[in-house]
Amino acid sequence: MTIEVLRPGVVVPRAGILRRFRRAVLADPLALAGVAVIALLVVLAVLGPWIAPYPGQGAGESDVPARMLGPSFAHPFGTDGLGRDMLSRVIVGARPALVVSLLVVGLAMLIGVPLGALAGYRRGRLDALIMRVTDLFLAFPPLLLAMAIVAALGPGLDHAALALAISWWPWYARLARGTATSLRERPFIEAARSIGVGDATILRRHIVPNSITPLLVQATIDIGTVILAAGSLAFLGLGASPPTPDWGLMVAEGRAYVLDQWWLSTFPGLAIFVAVLAFNLVGDLLLDLLDPRGTK
Amino acid sequence: MTRFIARRLAGSAAVLLGLSLITFALARLVPSNPAAVYIGPKARPEDIARVAQELGLDRPLPIQYVTYMLDMLTGDWGTSIGTKRPVLEEIVGRLPATIELILAAMLLAVPAGILLGVLSARWQRRPPDLVVRVVSIVGVSLPAFWLGLLLQILFFRTLHLLPLTGRVDPDLRFTSPIVETTGLYLLDTALSGNWVAFRDVAWHLVLPALTLAAYPIGLIARMTRASMLEALGQDYVRAARAAGIGERLITYRLALKNALIPVTTVVGLTLAYSLTGTFFVEVVYNWPGLGTFTVKGLLNLDYPVVMGVTLFGAVGYVVINLAVDLAQSWLDPRTRVA
Amino acid sequence: MSAALLAVRDLAVSFVTPDGTTTGLDGVSVDVGQGEIVGLVGETGCGKTLTGLAILGLLPRSARVTRGSITLDGRELLGLADAELRRLRGSSVAMVFQNPASAFNPVFTIGAQMRHVLAAHERLPKAAADARIRETLAEVGLPEADRILRAYPHQLSGGMLQRAMIAGALLCRPRLLIADEPTTALDVTIEAQILRLIRRLQESRGFSVLFITHDLGVIRTVSDRVVVLYAGRVAESAATEALFGRPAHPYTGGLMAAVPRSSARREALASIPGSVPADVGAIAGCAFAERCPVAIERCRAELPEARDLGGGHHAACHLAGQEAIP
Repeated sequence: MTIEVLRPGVVVPRAGILRRFRRAVLADPLALAGVAVIALLVVLAVLGPWIAPYPGQGAGESDVPARMLGPSFAHPFGTDGLGRDMLSRVIVGARPALVVSLLVVGLAMLIGVPLGALAGYRRGRLDALIMRVTDLFLAFPPLLLAMAIVAALGPGLDHAALALAISWWPWYARLARGTATSLRERPFIEAARSIGVGDATILRRHIVPNSITPLLVQATIDIGTVILAAGSLAFLGLGASPPTPDWGLMVAEGRAYVLDQWWLSTFPGLAIFVAVLAFNLVGDLLLDLLDPRGTK
Repeated sequence: MTRFIARRLAGSAAVLLGLSLITFALARLVPSNPAAVYIGPKARPEDIARVAQELGLDRPLPIQYVTYMLDMLTGDWGTSIGTKRPVLEEIVGRLPATIELILAAMLLAVPAGILLGVLSARWQRRPPDLVVRVVSIVGVSLPAFWLGLLLQILFFRTLHLLPLTGRVDPDLRFTSPIVETTGLYLLDTALSGNWVAFRDVAWHLVLPALTLAAYPIGLIARMTRASMLEALGQDYVRAARAAGIGERLITYRLALKNALIPVTTVVGLTLAYSLTGTFFVEVVYNWPGLGTFTVKGLLNLDYPVVMGVTLFGAVGYVVINLAVDLAQSWLDPRTRVA
Repeated sequence: MSAALLAVRDLAVSFVTPDGTTTGLDGVSVDVGQGEIVGLVGETGCGKTLTGLAILGLLPRSARVTRGSITLDGRELLGLADAELRRLRGSSVAMVFQNPASAFNPVFTIGAQMRHVLAAHERLPKAAADARIRETLAEVGLPEADRILRAYPHQLSGGMLQRAMIAGALLCRPRLLIADEPTTALDVTIEAQILRLIRRLQESRGFSVLFITHDLGVIRTVSDRVVVLYAGRVAESAATEALFGRPAHPYTGGLMAAVPRSSARREALASIPGSVPADVGAIAGCAFAERCPVAIERCRAELPEARDLGGGHHAACHLAGQEAIP
């Protein structure tokens, strides 16, 4: 569930946005920290296996004699029940976390944006129909629908990703519809229509590209939220399965020993928290830039 | 006013119909064979066929849907594969524990969140504001299940202050048994004057409620702050100052009443969040509520339970939204329907 | 002549923003005598609202008073403690705003809001407070007090709201009423009613009024004396008829010429070329020199002091008093 959603219909000028963003980030230390963390996450996701001190263990190799060791110089995050280095596992876990998020958000946008743009541009009965369906999906409490879908399909990272995408697309449909509705009145759209440009082309070439900025901002904020959602599903046992280095799964695995071997659950959970925090901080900044009537 | 409620209920009924369609689709279009799952792994093909017929799984889908709807409306929500008892009965039986938890969390989060938001807006850009903003963004970013574990480590393992799991000390069943009237133990123990049990129940409630309240406090504080800042920038605040009205009255009454209007929507959102957030908190704290039951159902592929709880949760959400609308119309005379 | 009730002397206000400092007011002096209606007129951005806010100590957070004094009955207001200022606002000095719909709190009844104002200054028992409110409402032409008191702002028309706002301002019997564009947002017919109302109330209660507006026609109808503001400085001040009869400052002349007149012949609309300078603090000479039709070298170099033209008529122009301005 998103913490903030852009007001549907806010159409954002694209010019100079990168420059404004850079200036705003440099001015706000918290947002700067957020950007730094996101950059770190990307680096870990791409270079994880080369950075991790025990990459094999990150993937799942065990080293049983070294099991359940507390944090130390050799193992800053300790080792788990199978002797695997926790630091390596957390580092290597960045890739599945980020990849799944991007997949979910991408899929949600792929389904939601065309539907929403179509609904907002065409209006009338098509709009009403699509919006009814959207409302229906949004009528479920967050995550509940995803859990039900995973239960129906069976546990697994891919099913969890699909379930989350199905839960998320309505938000993008709403957002895209809002911008499409305000764009369709614009003179340049009317001009295109009057010279006979087809609906599909208008949507593809004019409506969607002009809506892209608020959609991308929402997507950025959502990446963090999806990391949390996917981690939560994994914690319950509905997502990734061992030996995948999924952060949520690691927290669940460490839960039985949490009182004495506290490091087993603490560090993977910390990774989730820090990642979500970073995306929320940056998301805040983006929202302020784009919709000054917002939180500040 | 009654016409407004009736109209909204009618609209909600349409949504509920659609929701039931979705849950039905989920339940029936499942890849695995529900009949086989129902019986168990050692079934023979004839038994599976027989059970399938019993469960009505061989009839055409539309008829299955109508049967499903009729059953739902008459209170037959299927039977749990795991406990072999009616799903509705199981849900209702476990509901009070979950309601008590959610209620405790919201009673903590809503006043705290609003207060923090108001203070943050009042002392904008000064230390209280920065503290509140950090607290709120941390609150909405914390994974509930992780927070729960951390709190357990801190308060049980390290400080030995609070109990680890559960709703009540099992020994109390013999020493000071709780007389259940509402199912809300705090209320029941207070009503019967059982103060020993009351203290124990309260102690068990602290950590789970805190864990569940983290996200709501963060979100409510953020939105209250934003809403207050907008209210404080309005012309009527300047006019009130020009009339010599004191800052305290302006902040805590004149501006706040306006600011609370959008906050009711946020409170509704956090209530909706709690509906699923409670799953995680209950799992971590072994809380005997609807959450642990549902999670067990999810893992054991107990479809009747899963579908039942999903529909139940969706109905709850619809009710929450209706309540939010009513609260808003009460707060804002401009949208009042009467 | 009795001592001025309100004396603003050489008031200067600056705005401090991350992008730099701009001057809002640069040495404004305005006097309002006992029982006088003084009109403060000028274009948008000339600082007239700022002056009103400065008197009440309600300047926005980014604004600072850099020099000058504001005295009410001889008592200095600048630098006064917040608690003291609060006591004066609404009771000794009251303000009425441009948009009555937004000046009222949308979620409280009119009655509740008037009670708030009264309660801030006087400890009256409920019955007495109610009586005072009804009495004041009747005075402003709203005799059906019951309906008004129970109503929410969105249920009343603009004219009624403005009357209610005036009533709220007069509840504690202020000595000075600052009216900031009180009729700009109203229809012309309602505007006339409100102006008549203000004059009538002023006559019966005897308070002074600082009437801020950009509308010359309104100023002429309602004021005893007029102060013309341009770019944060006083251009001219005089008794109303003296100003309209023989304007001494080229800007005043330009303003009057720019007012469209209904006439049989079609005339080109006169306007003053150019635009108001952004930061008057940066201008050494006369702020109007760039746009003035009769400006000389001296105007650009030297700041014109207010010249006394007799009979309380002052103009800040090097050429004032020489010839009649066309």
